[in-house]
Amino acid sequence: MAEFVTVARADEKTVGEMRAFDVRGTRIAVANENGTFYAFDDACTHLQCSLAEGNLEETTVICPCHGAEFDVTSGAVLQGPARGPLATYETRVEGGALEVEG
Amino acid sequence: MTETFVIVGAGLAGGGAAATLREEGFDGRLVLIGAEPQPPYERPPLSKEYLRGESSFEEALIRPPDFYSDNDIEVYFGVEATRVDDAEKAVELDSGELLAYDKLLVATGGGNRRPKIPGLGLEGVYQLRTVADSDRIRREVAPGRRAVVVGMGFIGSEVAASLRQSGVEVAVVDRNGVPLRRVLGEEVGRVVEAIHREHGVELIFEDTVAAFEGDLGRVQRVTTRNGRSIGCDFAVVGLGVQPVTDLLADTGVEIDNGVVVDEYCRTSVEGIYAAGDVANHYHPVLGRHIRVEHWQNALKQGAAAARSMLGKGKPYGEVPWFWSDQYDLNLQYAGFHTDWDELVVRGSLRERNFVAFYLEDGKVLAAVAIGRGRDLRRSIPLIKAQRQVEAAKLRDPDIDLRTLASVQETHR
Repeated sequence: MAEFVTVARADEKTVGEMRAFDVRGTRIAVANENGTFYAFDDACTHLQCSLAEGNLEETTVICPCHGAEFDVTSGAVLQGPARGPLATYETRVEGGALEVEG
Repeated sequence: MTETFVIVGAGLAGGGAAATLREEGFDGRLVLIGAEPQPPYERPPLSKEYLRGESSFEEALIRPPDFYSDNDIEVYFGVEATRVDDAEKAVELDSGELLAYDKLLVATGGGNRRPKIPGLGLEGVYQLRTVADSDRIRREVAPGRRAVVVGMGFIGSEVAASLRQSGVEVAVVDRNGVPLRRVLGEEVGRVVEAIHREHGVELIFEDTVAAFEGDLGRVQRVTTRNGRSIGCDFAVVGLGVQPVTDLLADTGVEIDNGVVVDEYCRTSVEGIYAAGDVANHYHPVLGRHIRVEHWQNALKQGAAAARSMLGKGKPYGEVPWFWSDQYDLNLQYAGFHTDWDELVVRGSLRERNFVAFYLEDGKVLAAVAIGRGRDLRRSIPLIKAQRQVEAAKLRDPDIDLRTLASVQETHR
């Protein structure tokens, strides 16, 4: 069973649209799409730019360096230049805390 | 009767168009002809990750090698299409073979300009367009070796950066006083200049190469019009690109700075289309023809042309966009401008964290960013809107650029 790690209070202010957290040594980005949280590797699979520094358009995250696009719900590549999908992680909110599978 | 579509040019535009045709359900005969022996690949890594030995060629392939046979795409790689006969509707190959087509896509791309400089043919003088070119340069790279880069456009700048990162001593010769001035202008060009100076590139500006010289057929030095003599182990020439249109010389296809096409990628001859670097395309948002030599245009315009060939095309109106990674910096540009009357900077040129807007009559024509890709992306709707924006709002980092774009929308 997946273990969860608390990363932040689950509110707009602490997460904003996107923010990266260290979860047991891995940089994991959390996207907040209208109150639903999606977690995925922060490093773009193309050249490892931080996706949390990019843009979130609905459930699409766009790399700030080279424009690769991923579906945050599945990690699938929607647009190159990235080739490989992103790893995604479960999230849950427990007692006001945002937890990410770690 | 089965239709035959022929694509000449197997780069990102042509290869991507072939893939799109199959993905969109084209079940006729599909032929893809490329002058290079490799299957279609992307060129951006050739001056960067691939040149530095950090990525493999396989990573640059636009589809796995088996994709073409798996999708019943007949390929002629390493074969040049020499002539199109638009009356007979046939393409002639360098083997003499004739291929009949019902519809033809020209995606032949660009070829490097080869100015008549004495010694250009010496061993050790390279250009960069193909993976074979990049491989030749790679074989010269070793710490402490000396290179001269001729021309400081985007290719020259990226090659200079990659060579420095690999420990090569680099001198650049450029006719202008500032790198990339034609595209980025003086202020932003100075930022790029400073970055290269800090990384130890010797910049020789307002000068041009008189000759490549060396004994035994191999370059040893570059001499300039202003009388410099720069010793080197090899040289890389990056003096721009010209569209490859020779094969259309006998046709009625209009050629003017490339193959002239409308917003649907149709040429002046019915059944012949063009896309990518070679296409001088009527951009419906900008209201003029533009020819764009970048990755995104090849990718998306190739796909758009494929859909037009199937009769389900839409006007292609993407805002042109590209990136250029140099050292640890990421530069991006979106839009299209040749002239502007105001440059508005959000962020700091000095700190190399900015997005700069090129304005004409208060409209954002284009934007360039270093280290600020998020804002660059958010500038694209502003560029597309083609409406006046207050400079103060563009400059204010506390104003979300997306709100400016949406204000634009509501004022329609």
